[in-house]
Amino acid sequence: MTSGPYNYSYIFKYIIIGDMGVGKSCLLHQFTEKKFMADCPHTIGVEFGTRIIEVAGQKIKLQIWDTAGQERFRAVTRSYYRGAAGALMVYDITRRSTYNHLSSWLTDTRNLTNPSTVIFLIGNKSDLDGQRDVTYEEAKQFADENGLMFVEASAKTGQNVEEAFLETAKKIYQSIQDGRLDLNAAESGVQHKPASPGRPLAAPPASRDNCAC
Amino acid sequence: MDDVLDEVVSSEDLQKFEKVYHEQLHQGRVTHKAQFEYAWCLVRSKYAADIRKGILLLKDLFNTHAEGKRDYLFYLAIGNARIKEYNKALHYVKAFLDIEPANQQVLVLERQINKRMEKEGLIGIAVAGGAVLAIGSLVGLGIALASKK
Repeated sequence: MTSGPYNYSYIFKYIIIGDMGVGKSCLLHQFTEKKFMADCPHTIGVEFGTRIIEVAGQKIKLQIWDTAGQERFRAVTRSYYRGAAGALMVYDITRRSTYNHLSSWLTDTRNLTNPSTVIFLIGNKSDLDGQRDVTYEEAKQFADENGLMFVEASAKTGQNVEEAFLETAKKIYQSIQDGRLDLNAAESGVQHKPASPGRPLAAPPASRDNCAC
Repeated sequence: MDDVLDEVVSSEDLQKFEKVYHEQLHQGRVTHKAQFEYAWCLVRSKYAADIRKGILLLKDLFNTHAEGKRDYLFYLAIGNARIKEYNKALHYVKAFLDIEPANQQVLVLERQINKRMEKEGLIGIAVAGGAVLAIGSLVGLGIALASKK
């Protein structure tokens, strides 16, 4: 999962948040392993995954913190929001309660991240359309009103999973290009690896020393 | 930062949850929640003494609070792995997998612990190999010096 040469120029930190059982870990697993975990037990604390992607010809390493949805972990998992460049906020389209709690997740995200953090709303389990409890239109409206990006996705079929992770990265990259995201800020959630594009770095990244996570 | 064993808690967080725990301790009643949150921070500390303290708190929780057993086992494994008590860490991993054999999160942790053991085992051999080389060259030097006389 993390093997291979250190040939990326940026590290972006992501968090995945949302109610228990909405499929956060399954989305992460589908994105990093391209597989669906059929029987997914509750995550303990936090899980961590990485994948290298490409945006505008730049290799970017995504460091993804998948937080447990159970309330008992919430106080400590709040500290993982700090320094996230991207936040994937997930609800389950077949369970309205998980949608109703979005404003509380959004408040936490806004309070604990920085203004340049990209928030992407994912309505998971789109394969279960017959059991739908939240319409696409109302979720889209909620997203628009709050300035969030939005898709419905399925960790089971893989539909829109890549898109959600990649679109978030594109938006972050755009913010860097526009100068809206300050790379020198301690908690921007982005680390730049000063190497010529496409050329491997001579030394492994010193992420252990300067990682803000 | 490549896996959960690399992760270090911020001193700010550690202090925050330490304060809550100590306040409750002072009042004579510590909740499972406060003890777990403090222990979870302690096992992610960069100091071995903190990690050991976290392990003691988790063991106590494991024995007194049946509901959270899987969480306590998981962090007992992490804490022990972080102070290089790999066999103990694997013992907790095994106890967990006896109950949930297909748990991906714990299977990943098991792989990471094995990877570390392997890596540090190899480093051990490399160090021993280096020492043999050093002794060899000293002996060689001694022979060379002796033969010059």
